Amino acid sequence: MIHSAWLIPVLPLLSFLIVILFLRNKPKLGSLVANCFSLITFILATLVLVGRLQGDSLLREWNWLEVGSTTITLGFEINALNSLMLFIVSFVSFLVNVYSLEYMEGDDRKSIFFAYLGLFTFAMLALVISPNLLQTYIFWELVGLGSFLLIGFYFYKDSARAAAKKAFIMTRIGDVGLLIGILLLFTQVGSFEYDEIFAAVRNGELIGSVITASAILIFIGAVGKSGQFPLHTWLPDAMEGPTPVSALIHAATMVAAGVYLVAATYPLFEVSQIALTTVAVVGCFTAIFAASIGLFQKDIKRVLAYSTVSQLGFMMLALGTSGYVAGVFHLTTHAFFKALLFLAAGSVIHAVHTQDIEEMGGLNKRMKITSLVFLIGTLAISGFPLFSGFFSKEEILISAWTSGNEIMFFIALFTAFLTSLYMFRVYFLVFTGETSEASSHAKESGSAILVPMLILAVFAVFSGFINTHWFGTYLSDFLLEDAQITVKETHAPTWILYAATIVSLAGIFTSYLLFGKNKTKFGESSFSKSPVYSIVYNKYYIDEIYDAIVVKPTRLFAAGLKFIEWFCVGGIMKTISGCIQFVGWIGSRLQSGKIQTYGTIAVFIFALFILVYGVTNGGLLK
Amino acid sequence: MSSIPASSFLLLAIILFCIGLYGALTKRNTVVVLISIELMLNAANINLVTFSKYGLTPNLTGHIFSLFVMAVAAAEAAVALAILIALYRNKPTILIDEMDDLKH
Amino acid sequence: MDLQTLLSFHWDTMMPEFIILISATVLSLIDLFIGRSFSRKFFGWASFIAVVAALVSLISLSDHGVTTILNNSYVFDSFSIVFKAILLIGTALVILMAISDKFENIEEVKSEYFYLLMTGLLGAMFMSSSGDLITLFIGLELLSISSYILVAIRKENSKSNEAAMKYIINGSIASAILLFGLSYIYGLTGSTDLAAVQQIVSTLSGTELSGLLGLSFLFIIVGFTFKIAAAPFHMWAPDVYQGASTPVAAFLSVVSKSAGFIIIIRVLLNIYAGAYSPDGQLPLLINMQNYIFTISAITIILGNAVALMQTNIKRMFAYSSVAHAGYILVPLAAVSPLLFENIWFYLLAYTVTNIGAFAVIQYVVSDENNENIEAFRGLYKRKRSMAIALLFFLISLAGIPGTVGFIAKLQIIASALANNPINITIVVIMILGTLVSYFYYFRVIAEMFFKGDRLELQPPKNEIPFNLIVVIGVCVAATIVLGLMPNLALDNFYKLFS
Repeated sequence: MIHSAWLIPVLPLLSFLIVILFLRNKPKLGSLVANCFSLITFILATLVLVGRLQGDSLLREWNWLEVGSTTITLGFEINALNSLMLFIVSFVSFLVNVYSLEYMEGDDRKSIFFAYLGLFTFAMLALVISPNLLQTYIFWELVGLGSFLLIGFYFYKDSARAAAKKAFIMTRIGDVGLLIGILLLFTQVGSFEYDEIFAAVRNGELIGSVITASAILIFIGAVGKSGQFPLHTWLPDAMEGPTPVSALIHAATMVAAGVYLVAATYPLFEVSQIALTTVAVVGCFTAIFAASIGLFQKDIKRVLAYSTVSQLGFMMLALGTSGYVAGVFHLTTHAFFKALLFLAAGSVIHAVHTQDIEEMGGLNKRMKITSLVFLIGTLAISGFPLFSGFFSKEEILISAWTSGNEIMFFIALFTAFLTSLYMFRVYFLVFTGETSEASSHAKESGSAILVPMLILAVFAVFSGFINTHWFGTYLSDFLLEDAQITVKETHAPTWILYAATIVSLAGIFTSYLLFGKNKTKFGESSFSKSPVYSIVYNKYYIDEIYDAIVVKPTRLFAAGLKFIEWFCVGGIMKTISGCIQFVGWIGSRLQSGKIQTYGTIAVFIFALFILVYGVTNGGLLK
Repeated sequence: MSSIPASSFLLLAIILFCIGLYGALTKRNTVVVLISIELMLNAANINLVTFSKYGLTPNLTGHIFSLFVMAVAAAEAAVALAILIALYRNKPTILIDEMDDLKH
Repeated sequence: MDLQTLLSFHWDTMMPEFIILISATVLSLIDLFIGRSFSRKFFGWASFIAVVAALVSLISLSDHGVTTILNNSYVFDSFSIVFKAILLIGTALVILMAISDKFENIEEVKSEYFYLLMTGLLGAMFMSSSGDLITLFIGLELLSISSYILVAIRKENSKSNEAAMKYIINGSIASAILLFGLSYIYGLTGSTDLAAVQQIVSTLSGTELSGLLGLSFLFIIVGFTFKIAAAPFHMWAPDVYQGASTPVAAFLSVVSKSAGFIIIIRVLLNIYAGAYSPDGQLPLLINMQNYIFTISAITIILGNAVALMQTNIKRMFAYSSVAHAGYILVPLAAVSPLLFENIWFYLLAYTVTNIGAFAVIQYVVSDENNENIEAFRGLYKRKRSMAIALLFFLISLAGIPGTVGFIAKLQIIASALANNPINITIVVIMILGTLVSYFYYFRVIAEMFFKGDRLELQPPKNEIPFNLIVVIGVCVAATIVLGLMPNLALDNFYKLFS
C-alpha cells in the first residue's frame, strides 16, 4: 500500500478537476463526488499509516529537470512524521467534507466550494509527502493559493476579499524567506533533497552560520504560514471564510504546515542553538501574545483564531526547546480538538446566525450535542486532566523546563492559565446562563454536522493516550524511528504535571467566576459601565481581586502588545511598502512623457558608467 | 595628409558624437533633433573610415560598413520624417517637448 | 568572388529567411497592384502560413551542421536555430493576433501590418544568424525600422504617432551609441567578422587597448539595453506600448526583446569572453560583470516598482516587460555557464505567456474600449474562458509553480547559484522583484475574479475571434505543459547542442 502513496494527493486533485470542470452547476452530485474522493483518500492515508507502522520508510524519485550538473527530482517520501500528517490531514479533510454537506447547503456555489476543498487538500497532502525542499516549496505556495480561494470564498463581501488578500500577502512574505533559505542551502549543498542536506549537516560540510541563516529563513516561512508573531495578523482575519474552512485550514492543516516544516527540517535546527532559541522565543511570545488578545475578542471565531495562533506558538516553543516529539504531539492533538471547536462553533453560528458571543447564551438547552462536544473541545484545549491537550501540553511544559529556560516555562504556564480562562469564557457565555434573544430560536444541527463533531470529540478525548508516561510513549517511539535527530533523555520533575493541572483548573475556575456566574462582558458598553463597578457593587470581593490581578494587568498587557503590533509590524510593513511606492513614484515622475528626458536619463547613466569605468581602470585617463 | 595623426580623426569623431548627442537631447525642433542624430551616426562613420585607413590592419571593411550605415541612416531619417508628418497632421507641432501625452 | 564560389555556399540553410523575404516582398507587391476595393483579409493568414512554413523549414534544417555563408557574415549553427525558433513562434502568434486587430474607424486591418511584421522578423532572424558586425547592425536596423513603422501604423491616432516618435528618436540615439561602440571594435581588431574578432581580441593585451575594448563594451551594452527595454534605455517602453496597438506591443515585448538578447549573447560571448581585462587577469566579461549586474538590478527594481503605480493595463505590462528583461539579464550578470539554456528557456516561456496575456488584453480592451485595469472588472463572470486564460498567464509571469514561468525562473536562479554562491545578491533582488510583481499581477486577478456586481456587469459585445482563440489556446497549453514537463522543450534544445 505504501508504494502507491502518491495516489493520496492525486485523488483530491482529481476531485477538484472533476467537480470544477463538470459538476460546477450540480451542487448535490458535486458534493457527493467530492465526499467519495475524500473518503477514499482518507482510507488510503490510513492504510499508509498502518503500512508505515508495520514497515519501513520509503523514498521514490524521478528526474524532472536538469540544470547543468544538478538534477532536480520529483517524488514522494513516506516516513513516520509525514505518514502521521497524511492521516491527520486526510482525516480532518474528510470530516470537514461531510460537515460541509449540510453546512454549505443552499449556497449556489456549493460545488465550487467542494472543488476548492479538493484543491487545498491536494496541495496539503502533496506538501506533506515531498521528499525535497523544492517540491515542498511548490506545494507550500499552492497551499497558500488554495487557502486564498477558500478564505475569499464569499468574495462578494469586501471583508472576505480583503482578508483573502491579506492572508496571501502576509504568508508570501514568509514564503520569500523560505525560498531564500532553500536557495541558500542549495548553493551550499547543491541539492534540494532533504536527505542530502541532512547528510551534509551531519558530516559538517556546512559552516555554522550558513546553517543558522538557512534555518532561520526557513523558520520565517513557517512564521508566515503558522501565523506566528509578527506575521500572525492574517489568521484572525481569515475567519471571513466559511467555518468548515477555518476548521480545515486554520486549525488542522495549513497553519500546522509551518510547524511541520520546522519538524521536517529539524536536523538543521538542531545543530544551531541560535535558530532553536529564535524558534522558542517567537513561539513563546506568540503564545502569550495571542492568548491575551483572545481574551478580549467578542467574535467566537476570532477567539478560536487567536487560540490557534497561541497553540501554534506552543508547538513552536516545544520545537525550539528540543521538544521534537512534544511539538508534533501537540500538533496532532490540536488538530483534533481545534477542528472540533471550529466545527462546533460553526454549528452554533449556523443555528444562531451571529458570531458575537455576548449575544449568545444558554445554548446548552437547545443544542445539547453541540454543547457537549464544545465542552469536550474546551476541556481538551485547556489541558483538563486525561483529555488529549493535557498530555501534549504537559510534554511542552516539560521540554520548556528541561531546556533550562525558566522564564519561557513560566510564560508558557501562564499562557496555559489564560488558555483555559478565555476558552471557558466562550463556553460559559455561549452555552450557559439565560437564553439570549439570538439563541432563543436556535435548533440543533442535523446529523451531517453532528457526526463529524462526535467523531472528532472521541479523538479530542483519547488521542492524548498515544503518548503518555503511564501507558507508553508510542508516538515518541514511532517518530524517533527515522527522524534524523538526536534524542536527549529527559527526566522531568513530576511537579510540572501538578502545576499544569492546577493552572488549568484555576483558569477554568476564574473563568467560571468571571463569566459563568456573572457574565462579565468586555463589550463596548463595559467601558462606560466598567465591570469593576458592577462587581464591587455586587460585593464579590474575590472578583475584584481577580479583576485587579488578572483582568486589568492582562488588559494592560494586551494593550501594550497591541501597541507593539501596531508599531513594529505596521511600522515595518509601512516602511517597506512606502519605500517601494516611493521608488515607483520617483520612477513614474521621471517618466515625464518628454522624449529628451528619457534620452538624457539614459545618457546620464551611461556617462556614469563610463566615469566609473575610467576611475576604476585608471589607464584610460592617463 | 599623412601628417595628421589618426588620433585627431578619432578626437573629431568623439567631439562630433558629443555635439550630436547634445543636440539630440536639448533641441526643441524635431527636425534639428533628427539632424543631430545624423551627426552621431556620422561620428561613428568617421571612426570606421579612420580605422579603415589608419587602423592596426588597414582594410576596406570599414568603408563598406560606413556605406551600410549611411543607407540605414537615410532609411531611419525617412521614417522619422514620415512619422513627424503624420504626427503634425493630428497635432500641429514640431516641438519635441510638446509630444508628451503619454506619460507616467 | 566568382559565381562558382557564390554557388558553393549552402544557401539552403537560409531557407527560412528566404521564405520570409519572398513572402514579404510578394505580399507588398500584391498590395501595391491590386485595386483598393479588393479585400486584403487573406494577407494575415498568408503571412501566418509563411511564418509557419519558415518554422517548418527551420526544423527540417535542424540536422544540418554548422554552415557559414559569405565569409562568415551569415552563420547557421545550433544557437541560431533554437533562438530563431522562438522568434518564429512569437511572430506567428503575433500575426494571428493582428488578424483581428481593429483600428478606430477602419473596418479592415491594414495590409502593411503583416509584411512589416515579416520584415521585422527577417531582421531579427538575421541578427541571430549574424557572424559579422555589419550583418548584425543591418539586421538590428531592419527590425528597428520595421518596428518604428508598426508603432506608427495607426496614423490617424495621435497617441500612436507620438509613441512612434519617441521610439524612433530614442532608438536612433541608442543605435548611434551602439554603432560608435562597434566602430571601436573594428578599430581595435581591424575586422568585423566575429570569429576573427574573437581571435584577435584574445591576443590584445596592454592597458590601453583593453581599456578601449572595455569602453566599447559599455557603448554596446547601453545601446542594446534599448532593444531589450532594460535600464537605462527602458523609458520608451511604457509610452510606446501604450500608444502602439496591442499586437505591436506584443511584438515589441517578445520578438524584439528576444532579438536583443540574442544579439547580446552573440556579441558578449564572442568578443568579450575571450578578451583580457585591463589588468590582464580575468576575461573582460568577468571584469564588466558589475555593469550588467547594475543594469539588471536597476531594471528589476524600477520595472516592478513603477508597474505598481500603473492604471493602464498596457503600461503595466510594459513595466512588467522591463522587469522581465532584468530577470533575463541575471544569467549574464552571473556569467552562469548555463546562460544559453537559461535565457533561451526564459524567452520561450516569456513568449508564450506574454503573447497569451496580450491576446486577452487585446480582446478585452477592444471589447470594452477601455485600456484601464477596470476594463477587466468581473471578467470571470462575463467571459469565463478569458479570465481563466489570463489567470494562467499572470501566474506564469509571476512565476508561480506549475507554470512555465516558474521553471524559467527556477533555472535562472539555480544555475546562477550553482555557478557561484556570491550571486545570491542578484538572486535575492530577483526574488524580491518577483514578490513585488505579485501585487500588480494580482490586482488584475482580483479585478477579474472578485470585483464587479453581478447585476451591473454587461456581457461582452463581441465574440472572441477564432484567431485569438487559437493564440490563447496554444499559449495556455504551452504555459501549463511546459510548466509541468519542461523537458519537452529542453530535450530538443540539448539534442541540438550535443
